Amino acid sequence: MKRWSRRLRQLAGGVLELPQDVVLEVPRITMIGHLQMYIENHRGVLHFSEKELRLLLTNGQMIVSGEQLVIRAILPEEVLLEGRIGGVKFLETGPQGS
Amino acid sequence: MRNGLKEWIDGHVTITVRGKRFERLLNMAIRDGIRIWNIRRVGEDLTRCDILIRDYFRLRPLLRETGCRSHVEGRGGLPFWFIRLRRRAGLAIGASLFFLGLYMLSSFVWSVEVTGTRHMDPQKVLLAAEQVGIKEGAWKVKLKEPLVLQKELMSLLPEVTWVGIDFQGTKVQLQVVEKDAPVKPLPTSPRHLVAKKRAVITKILPEVGKSHVTINQLVEKGQVLISGIIGNETRQQVVSARGTVRGEVWYVSETSVPLTQNMYRLTGENQEQQYLLVGPYAVQVWPFNKETFVHAESTESRFIPSYAGYTSPIGWKTVHTAETEPIQRKLSVEEATEIAKRFAREDILRKAGKDAEISDEKVLHVTTENGKVYLSIHFSVIEDIAVEQPIVGAPQPPADAGKP
Repeated sequence: MKRWSRRLRQLAGGVLELPQDVVLEVPRITMIGHLQMYIENHRGVLHFSEKELRLLLTNGQMIVSGEQLVIRAILPEEVLLEGRIGGVKFLETGPQGS
Repeated sequence: MRNGLKEWIDGHVTITVRGKRFERLLNMAIRDGIRIWNIRRVGEDLTRCDILIRDYFRLRPLLRETGCRSHVEGRGGLPFWFIRLRRRAGLAIGASLFFLGLYMLSSFVWSVEVTGTRHMDPQKVLLAAEQVGIKEGAWKVKLKEPLVLQKELMSLLPEVTWVGIDFQGTKVQLQVVEKDAPVKPLPTSPRHLVAKKRAVITKILPEVGKSHVTINQLVEKGQVLISGIIGNETRQQVVSARGTVRGEVWYVSETSVPLTQNMYRLTGENQEQQYLLVGPYAVQVWPFNKETFVHAESTESRFIPSYAGYTSPIGWKTVHTAETEPIQRKLSVEEATEIAKRFAREDILRKAGKDAEISDEKVLHVTTENGKVYLSIHFSVIEDIAVEQPIVGAPQPPADAGKP
């Protein structure tokens, strides 16, 4: 069932030209240089320190590493992060989910 | 995402949270709709963040649940300002009293200044101004309108043509324009008064000089009426003759009046058009469709706002157009004659000059030809016939004239 629904969603996204983040429930990330990062569609904060922000996603996790990180604002599905961002990494928990 | 003004008005605190499970606290707080911003780690197990005052109290049960402890580090926003202000009540009262005092003091007249006096004493203007209420220490609210004050002040100062009253804050400026002294008559040179036209004298009133004619005498053009040379052969003097001489002058006037007259009459059809004036251009605004009349009269009124010598480049124009139609009016010969007489009278009075009057008129001849009435009328007009003529070559120095 789950595979069917995923295929249907992908098909719908392709045919209707919808943005992928709307269809696939993946985060949408906007970056301004390495200074600011705006992440939508997260599912909660797992870890936050000066050097790392780990966010829970629908399928896996997202790790933002950098220096002097500050969360300027946070809402249930959005995060505005500032600081010197070094890198973004995604950890997937597999295509079927756990 | 954030609303800085709302944060400031509601008031916010900066807190540090100590605890191992800060991330869990953060997630729970966000889910409950608590707004947290400027989150940063300041050390191991220590996080600093900003939060609204009312959210801070909602955060406390969550802190207990996650085993964290908070400590308020800073306060900001309007509520804390008020608290600080209450602590310094003297300052607040002083500041408001200062503004109140400034406002009250600025509603008084502090000085009266008079400009524009040339011969008059400015003190006199100040005294008159005091009578109508303009003096140092007067309350401006109690004073009347400047235009009313101006009228009152002008009636108190008869030697003044105009007084301008200008309120400049706490200073009143009275601008005075004095009346000029009456113009003295220019001294005239020696002269005769001679006849302007061929006429019969009806009245002669010499003021200076010697009259050479009598009433009912026919005078020719250029004949001396009042001589500027007085005295007998042995003692003579030259003066500037002055006086009034009126005489009856005859005119024959020829006029013609057409029997059919073209006139225009309003039909009642009219329309109004609105224009927006932008600089030298007029843009038609309403209505767009313009009715075209064959014959029409139009009047326009403009409204251009201007203030203190500055004229707005944008204005409004209204054009009112009323349709007219030509009609022809037929006149009877009697009516035409009346009109011709009126025209002739006006023409004669124009020729005769001011204060002339028609003493007699007689229609000599009336003919109707080619749809026109031709009239010749004889007028007797009583008018001023005297005209000055300088005396040239006469014994000039009046002082020596008496001693030949």
